[in-house]
Order: sequence, then C-alpha cells, then structure tokens
Amino acid sequence: MTTAATDDGFVVFDRVQKSYDGETLVVKDLNLSIGKGEFLTMLGPSGSGKTTCLMMLAGFETATNGEIRLDGRNINMVPPHKRGIGMVFQNYALFPHMTVGENLSFPLEVRGMGRSEREAKIARALDMVQMGAFANRRPAQLSGGQQQRIALARALVFDPALVLMDEPLGALDKQLREHMQFEIKRLHESLGITVVYVTHDQGEALTMSDRVAVFNDGRIQQLAPPDELYERPQNSFVAQFIGENNKLPGTIEEIHEGRALVRLANGELIDATPVNIQARGQQTLVSIRPERVEFKPEMMPPGAHTIDAEVLEVIYMGDILRARLRVAGSDDFVMKMRNTLGQTRLSGGTRIRIGWHPQDARALDPM
Amino acid sequence: MTDAAAPLSTADGRPLKAALAASQTRARRRALALVAPLFLFVLITFVVPIGQMLFQSVYNPTFADAAPALRQWFDDNPPGAAIDESAFAALAADLKQMRAERTAGAAGTRINYDVAGTRSLFTAAARRADSLEPPYREAILDLDAGWGDPLLWRAMRSASSPITADFYLAALDLTRDQTGAIVQVDEKQRVYKLLFGRTLMLSALITFTCLLLAFPIAHLLATLPLAKSNLLMILVLLPFWTSLLVRTTSWIVLLQQQGVINNALVALGIVGADGRIQMIYNQMGTIIAMTHILLPFMVLPLYSVMRPIPPSYVRAARSLGATSWTAFRRIYLPQTLPGIGAGALLVFILAVGYYITPALVGGADGQLISNLIAFHMQKSLNWSLAAALAGLLLGGVLILYWLYDKLVGIDNLKLG
Amino acid sequence: MALPAYASPLEKLWHYTYLVICALIFLFLISPILIIMPLSFNAEPYFTFTEKMMALDPEGYSLRWYDSLLTFGMQAPDAPRDAAWWGDFWRNAQWMQVTKNSIIIGFFSTLLATVLGTLAALGLSRPEMPFRRAIMAVLISPMIVPIIITATGLFFFYSKTGLANSYPGIILAHATLGIPFVIITVTATLVGFDQSLSRAAASLGANPRTTFFKVIMPLILPGVISGALFAFVTSFDEVVVVLFVADHSQQTIPRQMWNGIREQISPAILAVATILVVISIALLTTVELLRRRSDRLRGISAR
Repeated sequence: MTTAATDDGFVVFDRVQKSYDGETLVVKDLNLSIGKGEFLTMLGPSGSGKTTCLMMLAGFETATNGEIRLDGRNINMVPPHKRGIGMVFQNYALFPHMTVGENLSFPLEVRGMGRSEREAKIARALDMVQMGAFANRRPAQLSGGQQQRIALARALVFDPALVLMDEPLGALDKQLREHMQFEIKRLHESLGITVVYVTHDQGEALTMSDRVAVFNDGRIQQLAPPDELYERPQNSFVAQFIGENNKLPGTIEEIHEGRALVRLANGELIDATPVNIQARGQQTLVSIRPERVEFKPEMMPPGAHTIDAEVLEVIYMGDILRARLRVAGSDDFVMKMRNTLGQTRLSGGTRIRIGWHPQDARALDPM
Repeated sequence: MTDAAAPLSTADGRPLKAALAASQTRARRRALALVAPLFLFVLITFVVPIGQMLFQSVYNPTFADAAPALRQWFDDNPPGAAIDESAFAALAADLKQMRAERTAGAAGTRINYDVAGTRSLFTAAARRADSLEPPYREAILDLDAGWGDPLLWRAMRSASSPITADFYLAALDLTRDQTGAIVQVDEKQRVYKLLFGRTLMLSALITFTCLLLAFPIAHLLATLPLAKSNLLMILVLLPFWTSLLVRTTSWIVLLQQQGVINNALVALGIVGADGRIQMIYNQMGTIIAMTHILLPFMVLPLYSVMRPIPPSYVRAARSLGATSWTAFRRIYLPQTLPGIGAGALLVFILAVGYYITPALVGGADGQLISNLIAFHMQKSLNWSLAAALAGLLLGGVLILYWLYDKLVGIDNLKLG
Repeated sequence: MALPAYASPLEKLWHYTYLVICALIFLFLISPILIIMPLSFNAEPYFTFTEKMMALDPEGYSLRWYDSLLTFGMQAPDAPRDAAWWGDFWRNAQWMQVTKNSIIIGFFSTLLATVLGTLAALGLSRPEMPFRRAIMAVLISPMIVPIIITATGLFFFYSKTGLANSYPGIILAHATLGIPFVIITVTATLVGFDQSLSRAAASLGANPRTTFFKVIMPLILPGVISGALFAFVTSFDEVVVVLFVADHSQQTIPRQMWNGIREQISPAILAVATILVVISIALLTTVELLRRRSDRLRGISAR
C-alpha cells in the first residue's frame, strides 16, 4: 500500500486524504491506479470510506490532501460538471419532472448538441438497456428495475469514458439484482468503458469486477482480482470479510521457506502458509475456508498435520452438507462437504481427524 | 504509512483543521451571500425600526431642550439641594425662552406625564414670563403657589436629562416620590399592571379554549383516511386564509344584540325580547372571536404531530389489556405532548400581542395591552410611554419566542 | 374511526358524542364565514335574517349593498350607467381606489418578499450555512412580534426617513411581514428536496446555473408560489401598519373596512367580506392543488 501510485493509470488517486471534521481521517493515504477499460469495485462495510472516495472522484467532495488524476490531468480543482464522468446514483436521482426521454436529453442539451443527434443518441441508449418504448413515461410510472435501467442509460448517453456507480443495485430484490449485474457487466464489456463500482455486497464485487479494492477504516486492505482475493487474502480483515472462514488462534512454532508450523491453544500443531507473519513466537490467526477442510486421509497431502475434531451437528443444505465441529477448544469450526453420491454421512458425536493442504491454511495477523 | 504519525496535519504541514476550514470557507460564503440580501432587508425594515422605538422609550429630550438653564442648575446641584433663588432664576430664564420659542406646551406636557395637572402651570407662566422680575422666587410663586411643589421639581430634575427610565416606571405603574425613591402610583391610577395582567389571563384562557376545541378535531383529522381528512381540513384552512377583518365582522354580525344568535334565541323563546345577551363589545366578544381566529394555529401543529403516530401503539396497548380510555391516556396522549406544547406556545404568543380583534369587538373591558399602545400612539400622543409599553411587551414575546425555538424549533413551524 | 363490534355501550355512547362534538367545533369554525354570505344580499339594512329571507322570498334579497360598493365616493352615482359612469367609477369610487392600492401594494411587496425569501431559503437549506438557527430566528420574527410593535417602530423610523405616507414605505413594511411565510413554505419544500438530483445534474455536465433553473426551480416552484400567495394574503389583509404609516391616498381594502366597522357598520361591509371570502376560497384551492402537485413530485424522489 505504501508504494506510490503509478502514473500510467487512467484514474489515479495519489496520496489522497479526506477529513470532514479536521480531527479524524475518513480516507487515509489512498493510492490507487485504475487502468483504462477496467471494472474496479470498491468493497467495504459502511463507514469504510469507499463512498467518500467515489464522491471525491465525482467531484462532490474535495480531497483534504493529495491529488486525483483523470487521464493524466489533475482534476482536484475541476468542478463536477466539467469532469465528464457518468454516474449512477444509489436512488437513481432521475429528475421527477421530466420524462425518460427528457432525462436522457438533459446531458446532451447542456453540451449544446443538435436535436437530431440527440434523438439518435437517446434512442440508442434506451435500446441498449431495452427500454426503447418508455421514452415518454415519467420516472414515477416505472418500476424500480426500470428506473435503474434508465439511470444507467442516462449515465452512458453522453459517452463518458468513466462511469461511477454508487451501490446502484441496493434497492432491488435479489433476482432482479443478479440479472442487472449481468446486464451491467455486458455493457461494460461491449462499450469498453472504465467503471468504478461501489458496493457492500461481496457477491456482487466478486462476480462483476476485474479487480476489487477492499476498504476498511479508510484504507485499502487489499487490491486484487476476485479469485486472488478469495483464495489468498492478505490479512485477517479481508479473510473474514470475503466469504466464510474458520479462524484458529495460535503461536508460530517454526517458520521457513514459506511454511509455518502453528501451535494452537490446546497444544496441537498444524501446518500453514505464513502471509503477514514473520517470526517465531508471534501470535497468529490461521484462516481456512470451510470447503478446503478434509477429513478423509486420502484427500490430504502426505505428511500433513491433522488434528482431532468432534462433530457437533450436520446441517443438510441441498448442494452441500455443513458440519459444525469442535476443534482445538472452539465450537464454531465449519466444514463443508459436497453432497455427492459416495459422500460419507457424518452425524453428531462422531470423532474424526481433519486436515488440509498447507497452502489453504493462511497464518495471518491476529487483528 | 506516512500519515499515521501526524494525522492532524496535511502533507505540506498545514494543520488539517485549517486546511479544512479553508476548503469550507467558500461554500459558507456562498450560502451567506444568498441569505445576506434578505437579512439586510429585514435588518433595515424591521430590526432598526424596533431598535429606534426602544430608544424612544428611554430617550425624551423635549424638556431638556426647552429648559437649558434648569438643566444646568440640576447638573450643578445634587438631588436634595434646596430649591433657592438661583433655581427660580434658572426657571425664569427658561420660561422666557419657552415663550420666545413656543415650547412651553411641549415642556409642560412632558412634566405632566409625571405630575398630573402641571401642564397649565407652564403655559400660564410662560405667557407672563416677560413680566418676571427678581427676586424670581417670590415672583414665580406669586404666579402660582404650585411652583413650590417639591414633586414638581423632582419631576423637572428627572426630565432635564434626555435619557430616562421614567417611562418604563410609568408603564409598570411606578413613579418616584420627592426623594427620588421608586414607589407605586395611587391605586386609582394603576392601569398598566392591570392591563398586563388581563392580557396574560385572557391569552391563557384563549389558549386553553383553543386547545380544548382543537384536540378533538385534530385527533379526528389524524385518524380518518387521508382523502376524508383532507376534505375536512378545508374547514380548518378556510378560516386561516380568510381576512381577519372579515372574521371579526362575522362575529359582530353573529353576536351583537340585534344579531343572528340573539335573534335566534329570542325566536326560540330561550330569552325574552328584552333579555338579549350582551356577547360583544366586552371580554366575551374578545374571547370568542380570538379563539375562532387562533384555532387553526392550534389544530395544525397538533395534526402534524398526531398524523404520524401509528395506530399500532394503541392497538398494542389494547392487546396488552388496557381499556380504550387507559390506552388513550397512557399511550396516545403522551405522544401528542410536543404538538400540544407547540400549538399552545404559538397561540399564546400570537394572543398576547393581538390588536385588531380586541379593538373592534372588545368594548371597554376586552382591551389588551396592544390597544393601550395604540391609544398612546394615536390619541394621548405620549409616544415614549407607548414605546416603553411596547418594549415590555416585546421583551415578554421574545422570551416566549426563545422558549418556542428551544422546545419546538423554528424550523418545525408549518403552515397547512 | 369505525367502531368495533365488541365496543361496550358506554364506548358507543362516547364515540357518537365525540363525533357530535367534532361536528359542532367544525360548525364553530366555518359558520361565521358562511353566515355573512346570505346576509350580504339582505334587502334591509339589518345584520340578521329578515322574515322574508327566512321564507326564501326573492323580495327579501337584493344586490343593493353590492351596488353601494360601486357608487360610494362617485361624483355622479345616479347618472346613467354608460362609459362616463364607469370612468367616474374607475377614478372616484372609494372601493375602487382602495382596491387599486391593495393590489399595487400587494403585488410589489409579494414580489420583493418572494424573490428575497426564496434566495434566503436556498441559502438556509445548505448544510454549510453558518449561524443557521439564529438567522432563521431573525427572519421569522416579523411573524411573531406583535404587529402593533412593528407598526410603532415603523412609525418612528419612517417619520425620520421620509418614508411615511408613501407607497414604498408600505410596500417595504408589507414585504417584511410576508417574508416569514415565504421562508417557511420554501424551506419546507427544500427539506423534501433530494440533493442527489442536483448532484446528478452536475455529473451530467450541467453548470450550477443550468442546474438551478432546469432541475431545482421546477421542483420547488409549487412551494415558492404557495409562499408568494401567503405573502400576498398577508399584505392584502394588513391594516395596522397602514393605520400607522399611511395617509389618505394609500388606503387599502382592510383600512376602508376598518373605517366601516368602527364608524357605522353597514351591510355593505358584508358585501366586501363576501367578496374577500370568495377570493380566499380561490387562493386556498390554488395552494391545495400546488401542495398536491408538490407531494406528487416528492413522492417519486422518495422511492
């Protein structure tokens, strides 16, 4: 994170800070470079600073310190309406006193575009979101999903190179949300635009993005493609924020050549891959994804450490079986098993030995 | 992690608070620039005139200007000094000047405010001022023995200073005796305290009747479906939009002795033809008409508090075993208290300063303090006293206004 | 308000008593305003319903009081009603003169109050506005301070500045009195205004001026018009300031009514009152329609 942002990005945040009250920093030393055509998602819990970053990029908040560059140009002093950035708002912000067509026409009119050109662009933008027949409706006459599409079309109609989206799908129900994720992704690919997308929904972030920036406490905790984020979290926050995770606290017993031996609270030893842990004797939190936990010896690599576990309950979830185990004194260790034909059915009270590939157990900072 | 060491300053070393303030200053200035024209306007057309009125209540140079010699004498001699020949000599000099400049009437009027019946002393003496010869003491006392009254000299001493609290004393039925101590005026002359008392009492009564009448209909409006309540709301809003004078006229028509209500009562045989009830040109007229006029100011705040109270609270109370009365008293009523407070304060503030309706339908005993201010402005022409009475009324209203802002917030003031 | 089936007899009794009480209170509110309407058509110089009126005899009704409104103050009221007569009416009839004055004063004071008040409301509703509460308190105070105090202050102020007995003096005073109503209605509209709309306009490339005229103004216009109507009614109904700082040539309708009520009240006053009530009904209807329109627009942005 301390590496200075490179200058070749399309959008560059260079040592950006933001404070509202002069005492606490909402955004702390943000360095981020977004490439042209990239779909970058800012993911984080509420209050983590992600929306503030988006608002600074759009120009509705001023950076207290640092520089924001768009296409190599410093835009700190450029007012929002001269930035030429498309934006989709959380509540759509469609002008209620204008029809759909007038809403789309607005950005073109303020750019002094001629009537025939405007109409062609509006028709194209509406067709793009399959809303061609709705040009004369008022926003109030549309459903939530339809309003969302219009908001999207309005942000794209003036051909901005960069589009910002502030939790645009938050108000939709689950099914519609998944459909719209697909639509947005399709538009991004076909138009070749750069998208900065803010959400607190990790599923949304993982399915849509080229890269995800995980925010917490005003900092980017990790910036990585979705698969890397899920499989190789860089610290405990990311490990826990993305997906389900088992945490085992312990102390580093041995560490060399990318392998660590961790002694758990009850004295047992397990294998792990050290991530942000350097020395013997350090406290650590070992994180293991539930689907990477194995209890059949033949599934484990030779020489792997295994530990005792007691099955507390098994929950049938359709595609998978979810077992809650007691491991090293803690009662909430979860193991997921695929519901295949030959799967061994465990039941409560059974004692087993579990293990994993050392690559899948990551020794992280104890938070 | 370079920022962690100094989170309170920017990269170039400026304190973050200062940098932030600088970036906010422009926005603040823009907001202020929008408000400034109106603020200046209200300052000039409203605040300054009222300030000038308050100044008038403590500043009256009439006598000081007309009697420079006496003013000098009072400055040289402390209170309690003997009224000797030198004092009368100063008086004689001033009387001559008053004759020359024709200011005896104005000077006499000013002293007359404090000591009744003294205006003629000045006008009479000024007429004959040119014939006055030393020793002045005898000469002036020969004109009228009233010039020896120590109360008169005390009043002249006080009036010789243009800045005075005399009018505030008078407005509180107080005066100074010959030693300068503050005492109550004669019981027969005490009018202002009585009137302040009556204003407060009638305002309280009107506020209470407004609350009594507004609560049931506000509750009905708040519980009816929106379409119906909007329709009934017109009955509240139409009086609100109708001219004050029209509504006052209507009450005259309804309430006077040959009016609609008395005629109806006679026709129904409830009262005899000679037993017509006097319902107007007295306190009763003031109360009825003002209750009617101020009622919408009570209904609207009550309604805006009652409407958002979800019915589920009372339903929950009922399901927990409360009777409808208990549910109303213990659950509903406490939630309407903010509305009651807002409405009652607003109605009381407006009632305390009411002028038009009492002037038209109040008769003799239905007048409020505002009417007395108008009387001194237009009839007795004692403007300083009018200003002092207005100053006291303004003080009271501003305290209530401050209280309203504290409890309700001016932002929550709503009209319809 | 429907009564449940399980209500006890006492509850039923109370429920109907309550409805009757409410009806009576509504009657108290509305009847004084309605009662003057038929009385203004009285054929006799009385303030009560004559027997002929009660019997709905057409002879009991007449337009004589309306007619007296026209002719009062005219030089030749009995001349035939031709163009010259109407010219006389336009120039000399007392009620015509005061109506002209009321409209001139009302129009300019409303214009002043609405323009200044709307600008100020826009400033007051910005989050970065400093001393918001104190400034608001000063701007609303003309509504709270008793009118007699305002009039007294203006009397002293105008006699020193030469504004007494002049149209500008009354227009300024009435604008001051109307400002609180504009501030209250416009800020109430702005509270419901979705700030992301102006952000959206900016992100679409509109400069602040275009944003204001194309997006903000159309949406707050209903509130601005309501405020203007309030300000107009305030001026149209104001009598105390006129009593204190105007002379004969700036008399307004309420000032003329005041004379009529104080000196010898005649049913002609009821005719004026009836006309004013009709105007109030028209204004109230306008405000209601505007409010509904505003609510409709706002309902959308809340979605």
